[in-house]
Amino acid sequence: MADDFVRRTGGADWIPYWEAGRRRELRFQRCTDCGLWRHPPGPMCPRCTSMRSEWARASGRARLVSWVVVHPPVLPAWKERVPFPVVLVECEEGVRTMGGVVGATAADLRMDMPMVVDFAPSPDGDLVPQWRPA
Amino acid sequence: MSLRDKAAIVGVGQLPFAKDIGRSEDVTALEAAKLALEDAGLRPSDVDGMMKWSIQVTSENAIARALGVPNLRFFGEVGYGGGGGCGVVGHAAAGIAAGMARCVLVYRSRNRGSGGRPWAGTSRERDQSAADTNETALFAPYGFVRPVDQVAMFARRFLHERGYTTRHLGWIAVAMRRHASNNPIAMMREPITVEDHERSRFISDPLRLLDCCLETDGAAAVIVVAADLARDLKQKPAYIMAASQGMGPRNVTMNNFFKDPLLESPGAYAARDLWRMAGVSPRDVPVAQLYDAFTPLVLGSLEEYGFCKAGEAGDFVSDHGLEIGGRLPTNTSGGSLSEAYVHGINLIIEATRQIRGTSLNQVPGAKLSLVTSGNMVPTGALLLRGD
Repeated sequence: MADDFVRRTGGADWIPYWEAGRRRELRFQRCTDCGLWRHPPGPMCPRCTSMRSEWARASGRARLVSWVVVHPPVLPAWKERVPFPVVLVECEEGVRTMGGVVGATAADLRMDMPMVVDFAPSPDGDLVPQWRPA
Repeated sequence: MSLRDKAAIVGVGQLPFAKDIGRSEDVTALEAAKLALEDAGLRPSDVDGMMKWSIQVTSENAIARALGVPNLRFFGEVGYGGGGGCGVVGHAAAGIAAGMARCVLVYRSRNRGSGGRPWAGTSRERDQSAADTNETALFAPYGFVRPVDQVAMFARRFLHERGYTTRHLGWIAVAMRRHASNNPIAMMREPITVEDHERSRFISDPLRLLDCCLETDGAAAVIVVAADLARDLKQKPAYIMAASQGMGPRNVTMNNFFKDPLLESPGAYAARDLWRMAGVSPRDVPVAQLYDAFTPLVLGSLEEYGFCKAGEAGDFVSDHGLEIGGRLPTNTSGGSLSEAYVHGINLIIEATRQIRGTSLNQVPGAKLSLVTSGNMVPTGALLLRGD
């Protein structure tokens, strides 16, 4: 039960995001009609109500907005990894997303520092977008 | 038409809080409902409406059937867990104001102390309002699923932008514990200091154990009736002077990080509508129950409900502003941090006691009493008044 929960991540709208990550690509949904980038993904553009969208490649450059360091109690899949950081970043495209940290520790993080996307597996083995200091 | 003063809370009931209450939420909901009806001097046959949290595992028909309620002509629910409480009571008042009910039972029973954790997938609870996508788990591949992580992500940026420190968070925990110390049903009564807070272990840095509410088994109920009925009952009515809800733009449950301004909560929207309906200002309010699942939420509410300006909430709490005798005695029965965490129904009951004059930490002569719901999710607020 608990391990199933790790993969319940927002439903069908999110599948292209995680699939892009497996190919080492950071992609976000963008409105085909008005060009607005949006995240989290959804069926309709909140600016123009268009239901047409594409999954466009993002630059992978971002700014660190906030972070936490997760301590116990955690789900079984994470027990060997605590404490670990999770970051909230704002991408150049204007959308925000989250991820783990690679190539640095929580002590290296500074508010508003530049970050770049990288890819590393989640505990279930899938490559997912992660972040490292630029 | 406004619901202002059209309905009142006339009955409250709650069971002693526990880590393991030893019986199901279906049973404890009934026990609490019975206590609330007795408190009001009403019978199950008087009940014609019910409102509940959508995350509540016990359905209205099961409660009505067991209590022997002859007919429910008004029933419904509000979602988003701890964001729902004031909305649940607000909808009860709206139904009464619209003539759809005369006597509405509101209940919340929850075995969160003994019954598993929603974030770990081990609880019976499922919030129907978020069931399709489970927005709280959007970032589960990063181990980011607990409410404490989501509040901590907000909190680090909030402290940074406002110039607040974790010691300010500590002052909130200290005040709640002080209020719980004379409350015999509070789960945590041993006084704490800011140093105790700063020494407690990290759960999600920057938040520590003493920033977190309690894992509680509990059950409580509230009876809301039409104002003309309220005058003739056993208790002094707590009139619902104003009720509001708010969601704000582009809301995501708990992970509400995808809109601008980033640090604005749904509470900012509920606050605006609440003061407009009430026709009073925050300066007129002598006591508040501000939703405190985690300490940073209280700092945000002090700003957004207008008790201080942005950046001033730190001094507000470190100057003992939340304590009896302070600028705004807050969570006077100990709140979610020290009395019990039951999605805020205990806060609604304590707000009612302040109007009745029966709080264990009574603010003398309180005529207005504010209560708010969780502000990391779609939220609500109530302003109660006495005669």
